[in-house]
Amino acid sequence: MTQTNQPEINVQEKRPLDTGTAESTSSEPRFSPQVDIWENDRGLTVVADMPGVNADGLSIDLNDNVLTIHGRIEAQNPGKKVLTQEFEVGDYYRQFKLSEDIDKEAIAATIKDGVLAVSLPKMAPAQPRKITVVQA
Amino acid sequence: MAFLPFFGRNFSGSFWELEKMRSHMDHVYNALADGFNQIRRNYTGVFPLVNISEDEDNLFLTAELPGLTADRLEISIKGETLTLKGAKTQDNAGDETLNYHRRERQAGSFSRSLTLPVKVKSEDVGAVFKNGILTVTLPKATEARAHQITVQAQ
Repeated sequence: MTQTNQPEINVQEKRPLDTGTAESTSSEPRFSPQVDIWENDRGLTVVADMPGVNADGLSIDLNDNVLTIHGRIEAQNPGKKVLTQEFEVGDYYRQFKLSEDIDKEAIAATIKDGVLAVSLPKMAPAQPRKITVVQA
Repeated sequence: MAFLPFFGRNFSGSFWELEKMRSHMDHVYNALADGFNQIRRNYTGVFPLVNISEDEDNLFLTAELPGLTADRLEISIKGETLTLKGAKTQDNAGDETLNYHRRERQAGSFSRSLTLPVKVKSEDVGAVFKNGILTVTLPKATEARAHQITVQAQ
């Protein structure tokens, strides 16, 4: 259960999506999810916190080496009176530019408990090929 | 500063001192401003942030806890105080083969107690954890519900 030696989590306010100069047409808030990105010799892993998003609401696409993550949250059930609102709820959107050596065919993604994990395997390095010379 | 040579060497010397002082003040000011932001942040919230809503019969509390699982969450209620406790573990802790490019997600433990606005039936409180969102449904105590009073016409 709760370990005493662990550091306490500080509040991280959700970051509204930075759309640059282009304004969003919708007034719904959109957020840039917090991510961890790590690399090892096999590839890259992108992990994003997207609470409220399930597999159906998620779209991930790769276009011109730009990985786009878009998570739609489920519609909120209305008819309730809000008493306290400490966080806003909205969709998640973030883009990453990938390097060339990602094996695009082998990208895989899973989402569990509101955490998306995208694995981006590296292209296998070209195997050295030995050419046998046959005596004619 | 084009006018500096006009004052001669002594003046430019004191300007240099002033400039140094100003940069020092900037440092102090920035450090203080950071401190104020910290206070403001602590003031606005303790992890996890919660939204509370109500309908006629229930209070609903939601909190975003991505990466947590139901078994690592502890919810208790005593009187009108609700306590949320839990811990999020760091992924790949101690794995030296990984090279982190970004590390924005937090791990650690949390504990938050909050006072509910009305009395609730603590024995009927239900909690659901789905897609990283905790929803606690707290039925209001009978005395906290609105009663419709029929006005008798005489």
